[in-house]
Amino acid sequence: MTTEARKTHAIDINALNRAGKSGRDKFDTCISVQDLNLFYGSKQALHNVNMEMPRKKVTAYIGPSGCGKSTLLRCINRMNDLVDGVTIQGKLLLDGEDIYDKNINVAALRRRVGMVFQKPNPFPKSIYENVAYGLRIQGINDRRVLDEIVEKSLRGAALWDEAKDRLNDNALGLSGGQQQRLVIARAIAIEPEVILLDEPASALDPISTLKIEELIDELKEKYTIVIVTHNMQQAARVSDYTAFMYMGELIEFGETSELFTNPAKKQTEDYITGRYG
Amino acid sequence: MSETQSSAPKSTLLQLSSSDSYQRWRLLKDKIVAQAVVIGGLSIILAIVLIFFYLLYVVFPLLLPSHAESVSSYDTPEAAMGSTVFLSMEEQNEIGVRFTDTGKAIFFAVADGQVNRVVDLPIPAGVRITSYAHGSVDKGIIVYGLSDGRALVVRHEYKLSYPEGKRLITPAISYPLGTQPMIIDNSGQALTKITVKVGDKNTSFLAKTADSRLLFVTLGKKESMFDDEVTWDRTDAVLDMMAGDVDFMLLDKEFRNLYLAGRGGDLAVVDVSNKSEPVIKHKLNVMKQGGEITSMEFLNGDISVLIGDSRGDLAQWTIVRDKQNHYSVQKLRSFKVSGQPIITINPEQRRKGLLAVDANGEMGIYNTTAERESIREKVADAKPVAVTLSPRANAFLMQTEDGKVHHWKVENEHPEVSWSSLWQKVWYESYPEPDYIWQSSAASNDFEPKMSLTPLVFGTLKASFYAMIVAIPLALFGAIYTGYFMAPGMRQYVKPGIEIMGALPTVILGFLAGLWLAPFVEMHLTGIFALLMIVPLGVMIFAYVWQYAPKSVRNKIPEGWDAVVLVPVIIFCGWLAFELSPFIEELCFGGDLRTWMRNEFGIGYDQRNTLVVGLAMGFAVIPMVFSIAEDAIFSVPKHLTTGSLALGATPWQTLAKVVILTASPGIFSAVMIGLGRAVGETMIVLMATGNTPVMDISIFQGLRTLSANIAVEMPEAEVNSTHYRVLFLAALVLFMFTFIVNSLAELVRQNLRQKYSSL
Repeated sequence: MTTEARKTHAIDINALNRAGKSGRDKFDTCISVQDLNLFYGSKQALHNVNMEMPRKKVTAYIGPSGCGKSTLLRCINRMNDLVDGVTIQGKLLLDGEDIYDKNINVAALRRRVGMVFQKPNPFPKSIYENVAYGLRIQGINDRRVLDEIVEKSLRGAALWDEAKDRLNDNALGLSGGQQQRLVIARAIAIEPEVILLDEPASALDPISTLKIEELIDELKEKYTIVIVTHNMQQAARVSDYTAFMYMGELIEFGETSELFTNPAKKQTEDYITGRYG
Repeated sequence: MSETQSSAPKSTLLQLSSSDSYQRWRLLKDKIVAQAVVIGGLSIILAIVLIFFYLLYVVFPLLLPSHAESVSSYDTPEAAMGSTVFLSMEEQNEIGVRFTDTGKAIFFAVADGQVNRVVDLPIPAGVRITSYAHGSVDKGIIVYGLSDGRALVVRHEYKLSYPEGKRLITPAISYPLGTQPMIIDNSGQALTKITVKVGDKNTSFLAKTADSRLLFVTLGKKESMFDDEVTWDRTDAVLDMMAGDVDFMLLDKEFRNLYLAGRGGDLAVVDVSNKSEPVIKHKLNVMKQGGEITSMEFLNGDISVLIGDSRGDLAQWTIVRDKQNHYSVQKLRSFKVSGQPIITINPEQRRKGLLAVDANGEMGIYNTTAERESIREKVADAKPVAVTLSPRANAFLMQTEDGKVHHWKVENEHPEVSWSSLWQKVWYESYPEPDYIWQSSAASNDFEPKMSLTPLVFGTLKASFYAMIVAIPLALFGAIYTGYFMAPGMRQYVKPGIEIMGALPTVILGFLAGLWLAPFVEMHLTGIFALLMIVPLGVMIFAYVWQYAPKSVRNKIPEGWDAVVLVPVIIFCGWLAFELSPFIEELCFGGDLRTWMRNEFGIGYDQRNTLVVGLAMGFAVIPMVFSIAEDAIFSVPKHLTTGSLALGATPWQTLAKVVILTASPGIFSAVMIGLGRAVGETMIVLMATGNTPVMDISIFQGLRTLSANIAVEMPEAEVNSTHYRVLFLAALVLFMFTFIVNSLAELVRQNLRQKYSSL
């Protein structure tokens, strides 16, 4: 990252919009959200969101419950499509390509944008088959390739040492923290560009949480990571950039260190100092 | 709870709400409910165990071994009056009778041999008795052949009366053809062998004279309209054959066939349908392995002949008609009684059983249908002279050379049942070959019950198989669509709708299947098959066309409501199938599919057939399978499907690899419960199958299931008879079958659940 980028404080949305191309130049943009509005039926859940997320960095969304941070996250791999009555306006560009274009292949998109949910959701299969699942549905069934990628992914998710002797055991026998790392291994097995983490540690104990956070730190070497978290300390610890959302609007987005120490907006300051949330 | 109470700090709230009595009451309620649940569960298990043991209790006597035991033995009554030629006893096993070679009938008490009455038969003076035979055992007919060519027919009868409320049996002798001996041989030669059959209208004699002629004499009874005078219409015939070698003669009760045999093993069957012109039909040697015929007797019903030989073998021979309508005499089965010559054979009077006695005083009781030796005992050390089995086959008397009469009691309630008669092919009398037959009752008493459970088990499996073929694809695909793809708004109508189908009483389904569907299918057979082709094809073509439909049309149908669009398509395809069927039939099957099938492949068509049952029972099974499978699919956690989708799986991949896998225990149990339902289903199969216990794999043939068989025959089965117990055995088989299937299913399901149950 350039010094210029480091200097960029809490980016004012309008300023960013005005900045146009020059604003994007400040970092290598991976995901770009442009005038995104989302409605659940007639209820608007996201209001005119604009933001850019840097490649191979961790971007955290924070905000009080119901502020739309998970909804925004799910827009990135179109998981909102599964909800009845959702309408989306605006653009969401992944590497400059609008993922809401009608010609986009949703399954292929989701392969590029992996996701880990709040609650660990391993399939009722063996550990091995869980990790291999994403590969098998892509038609990769060569045992040697699978073996290699499974090991690599489990190592990548820091689960290999714990799981290598029980690869054929049911994944449901793992602890919650292990399951969540397994799910991360499953996500990275298909080598996505982006990993979305939807409150990945909120159902875990402190030690497992620590492991996940360490893992996130390692993963950003390779992947663009977007994480939703309730826990501001976690956001501060793991993320490079933080977006604060409130009532479906993006209030403030900037480098984490800046946003937490010197927020530009009163609402942000109120939230991080614990006035509401 | 009590711990919390003692250790928790006493807050005001706690003091307010938890008086000791309230806590005790709470605990008590908890205990009562726990006990009630335990009692409920245990009583269900107990009920099932009781049902099982009750079935077993009724079936058990079939498995009990038969046995015979000696009751008494005593000196031959009035031994001095002559030696016994024929021994018999009446139905209550109280009075026995022995006919002597001196023309006396000596009635005695079976229990101790005390003489009850002695009757001198009206043998004319100066005439010797030269031969004797029993006519019809069940009618008590005896015939004596005399030295002057005449024969005397005698019947022993028993009258029951109840003076002072006690049963009294009075024996008597009567003469069906009069007290005057009948002239058989007009030339007055002595009759050295004789046999007789007395029917309602006719009486036939077969006699061998001292000069080796075989005379066949038939007397037709003519009763005068005005007085009691009886005249006889006599037909005479002489059998032109090896009379000298004939040692055994039998005439069946239909007056159709004569069976003549010589010691050497030559057996001849003579057709005497035309009483004046007997024709020899079959000649063969039955002793090809060596040995001599030592006794010959009809099995009850006079259809097969039992031949005992000097090597202790007992064989059942009968006239068999093969598929080309050729008749031949065949050996159905044989028993090894002992190594000694078989002296006498006493057929049971009401069953296809017999008692055979060898020269060593050893007896065996056999059943031909079951091909089973029920009892074998050594009765005496001396050589038997005469043996009789009581009419109810529950006792026998044996007189031996040493002048003793042995009275034995026999317990042999269910000899017809054996593993082979229930489950294997049995060569029944009058059948061309061994076969699996269920035919438990008939009008006549000497009927051979055919109680093979195999055709019933086959029918049960066949009906369930076809029902499952109809039900499983429809129910499971329906469940998958409803549980996974269908919009919730539509699902809330579809699911209860199908479940209501299950509320339809099966008697109505059976009634509709038998009276409406069966004739309908018969009339529109081509249409039914065309339906199977045209509907899937039509749906696929429609789906293909639909994706090219303009967006404005497609967008009118919200996601998950697609099925609605298909309804008119399916109705149209159905209509088309039935409209096209006459043309298809004309074009491909020469105008009539059923005739075509019969001519081309020899496939017959029953109106009540398995296709109808498959459709009707499939309809009955669908709601249950659908409902359980749909629940299983619908309750697959959403986080698993989203997890799979988030990995880039298509909805179809998610369905195939995650949803079905996770729902597999539920889907499996849905199928097994459906199968259990189909196997046990009664009313539909009762009304729509035709209840024909045939073993034919063809879908166009009827069948009979275990359950329908029980429903049909139980009301007419005599309590505690073999038939009754075999029906219970069928119930037990059905019970075991469903029990084993369900238990296995539960095991598999538990295993699946352990493997694939989600969080």
